[in-house]
Amino acid sequence: MNVLWEQFPVFRDGFLLTFQLSFLSAIGALLVGTLVAVLRISPVPPLRWLGTSYVNLFRNIPLTAVFVFVVVGLPLLGSSADFLKIPGLDQIFTRLGIDLPYFRFSIIALSLYTAAFVCEALRSGINAVPSGQAEAARSIGLTFTQNLRFIVLPQAWRAAIVPLGSVIIAMIKNSAIAGFMGLYGDLSSRGQELVSAGVNGVTYPLIPVFIAISLGFLIMTVPLGLLLDRIEKNRMVKAR
Amino acid sequence: MAQPLIELNSVNKWFGSLHVLRDVNLTVDRGEVVVVIGPSGSGKSTLCRAINRLETINSGTITFDGQPLPAEGRALARLRADVGMVFQSFNLFAHLTILQNVTLGPIKVRGESKANARERAMQLLERVGIANQADKYPAQLSGGQQQRAAIARALAMQPKAMLFDEPTSALDPEMVGEVLEVMTSLAAGGMTMIVVTHEMGFARHAAKRVVFMADGELVEQAAPAEFFGNPQSERAKDFLSKVLQH
Amino acid sequence: MLMKRLAAAAAIAVLGVGVAACGGTDPATPGPSTASFKAGSTMEKLNKAQKITIGTKFDQPGFGLKGLDGKPAGFDVEIGKLIAKELGIPADKIEWVETKSAVREEVIEKGTVDLVVATYTINDARKQRIAFAGPYYVAGQHIMVRSDDSSITGPDSFKEGTKKVCSVQGSTPATNIKKYLKDEATQLVLFGGYAECVDALKNKTVDAVTTDNVILLGFVASSNGAYKLAGNKFTDEPYGIGVKKDDTDFRNFINDLLEKIAKDGSYAKAWNDTAGKFDKNTPTAPAVNRY
Repeated sequence: MNVLWEQFPVFRDGFLLTFQLSFLSAIGALLVGTLVAVLRISPVPPLRWLGTSYVNLFRNIPLTAVFVFVVVGLPLLGSSADFLKIPGLDQIFTRLGIDLPYFRFSIIALSLYTAAFVCEALRSGINAVPSGQAEAARSIGLTFTQNLRFIVLPQAWRAAIVPLGSVIIAMIKNSAIAGFMGLYGDLSSRGQELVSAGVNGVTYPLIPVFIAISLGFLIMTVPLGLLLDRIEKNRMVKAR
Repeated sequence: MAQPLIELNSVNKWFGSLHVLRDVNLTVDRGEVVVVIGPSGSGKSTLCRAINRLETINSGTITFDGQPLPAEGRALARLRADVGMVFQSFNLFAHLTILQNVTLGPIKVRGESKANARERAMQLLERVGIANQADKYPAQLSGGQQQRAAIARALAMQPKAMLFDEPTSALDPEMVGEVLEVMTSLAAGGMTMIVVTHEMGFARHAAKRVVFMADGELVEQAAPAEFFGNPQSERAKDFLSKVLQH
Repeated sequence: MLMKRLAAAAAIAVLGVGVAACGGTDPATPGPSTASFKAGSTMEKLNKAQKITIGTKFDQPGFGLKGLDGKPAGFDVEIGKLIAKELGIPADKIEWVETKSAVREEVIEKGTVDLVVATYTINDARKQRIAFAGPYYVAGQHIMVRSDDSSITGPDSFKEGTKKVCSVQGSTPATNIKKYLKDEATQLVLFGGYAECVDALKNKTVDAVTTDNVILLGFVASSNGAYKLAGNKFTDEPYGIGVKKDDTDFRNFINDLLEKIAKDGSYAKAWNDTAGKFDKNTPTAPAVNRY
């Protein structure tokens, strides 16, 4: 296990990048996923069709393919995903603002892919909201959008929080693929670098390196799991 | 003669092959309290829900305040804001406090200021006797309290009419009275009301007119004294003999 | 002494072809050259068998690439053929086996192949398990850029911090280039394979791709002039021919041959017929290392 101490900066930097990627992708996935879920329950058939197609597509192709479409496809369309160079945010997440687009591409690929699963988790949450809630909202004159925004989605979120948590945890782990898709320096790829290319000619054995990588992921996923448990408990208290 | 507030003309509705509303004609005047009674499955709930288009109809017309019911969209939302609805299962918004339940519509639909909406909401909650529960969540209240809160929520929209869909059917017997009391005072205050209920007592003393439905048909309608004293149809007689026995 | 051996070998080679031509008719007849090889040596054994198994890459343009005709072609393959010829074995009696990087030591140790010519870098770790004849070529890390880009002249061009470079995740070239970068986060792009790097170079997301020149040469060759190599290679990767660790006779035999072909022009011809199609600079054969 010496590798963790000897190469601590490598793991620390990798961890920080993976954390940033996961954090931003989670936000993206939740936003896009909510939008798709709204499409899927929309009263307008073409929008419903669009939402359903989205889920069927992204849920059923490998994440690698999504990455290729984004990483190779966007430059073909002449985009470097500059819309993600969000002023202010790029001060905290410095990789957002740099010329190399692969951090932004990785966020897009992870968000698009994960959004399909977020949508389904949310939809299960929406289905868990009694129909009377939406009916009561309609009967006081809320429009479809207001109904979703003020009545259905806030409750759906609560019902969906546990499945959503699993989706986000899976996404954090999926983020490891970004290191093979142009992004330099995420946790797992930096770890593997120690094994295959080494540092100053010294390579490290696989098992200890991967234990250290796993520790890095656990630091992100375990607290998230605990947080979810807590939210779930609070919700049960409120509902009683 | 003043135009009726609610008017149903030859309204038909099917649930699949089930004909739940058969050629229903009904007019309700402003300030009138109409109680709809009848055996379960007679279509009275569907009738009530059709008036604010929570159920669509297959043929016929429904007009409210001189306007035919709009199709889905903003116009329909505006109409619904003018028609208060009270449900059998209360349907209070579970994630909002009682006060938030009552103020949501005025703020989001009517565009009232928060302070103003809050002040009126507290007055309404005072009126239905649960002002002290304002900051609690629905799940913390008894059924009777919840239904009174639901009435306050509907009233907060300052509706032109109120629809009650079996408002006491889900309540424990000891709580029925407190809800009926609120409804009675509302009727006395001149609110136009359509009430679907099994509470014959309420029908007898608060209704201006009783409508009897069976098998999707509007079988007969009369002032309560006349209906309860001298029902015309066999089906009404049969129904009354059953419900008045206990 | 050396000249004598070379002359003998040449004679053997010429005769060997003749033997192969009629060898099938009478397998009991020993090749006339048998006596020239030391009794019991690998050379004698192979010559007698009139068959040799050579490991090479099947996916390395210019060095060892298996074509649609099912036969590998490239500089490594030509070197293999020259060795076989020296042993009196005709080219069509060579059995080619694909040896990917990870399995090379193993197949030599097990005797699955008689020798390996497969872009095989000589290093001390490998010498623990097998022996290297050669080197016969010195590869090295190089930089590939778009043909119209003259702003990159070597790895030092990255030190300023503006040029972006792509390589493969976990590879030695990816690690090597780091010391020339000002900021890895804004200059380094890593993919799972080189195809993505070339794509990124094409769409100008990166300015350069770096790895062994051998690999880059393949991309340059198939790019219709879109890419070129910039500057000189900046690391040395001597390629050797792998044989069994204790088979010093065989190793010396191959080293002798390498010295011979360096002089008689067959080394240059082998290059020009294969990798030389992408790289006009015919390399000078490096001095063999008889350790």
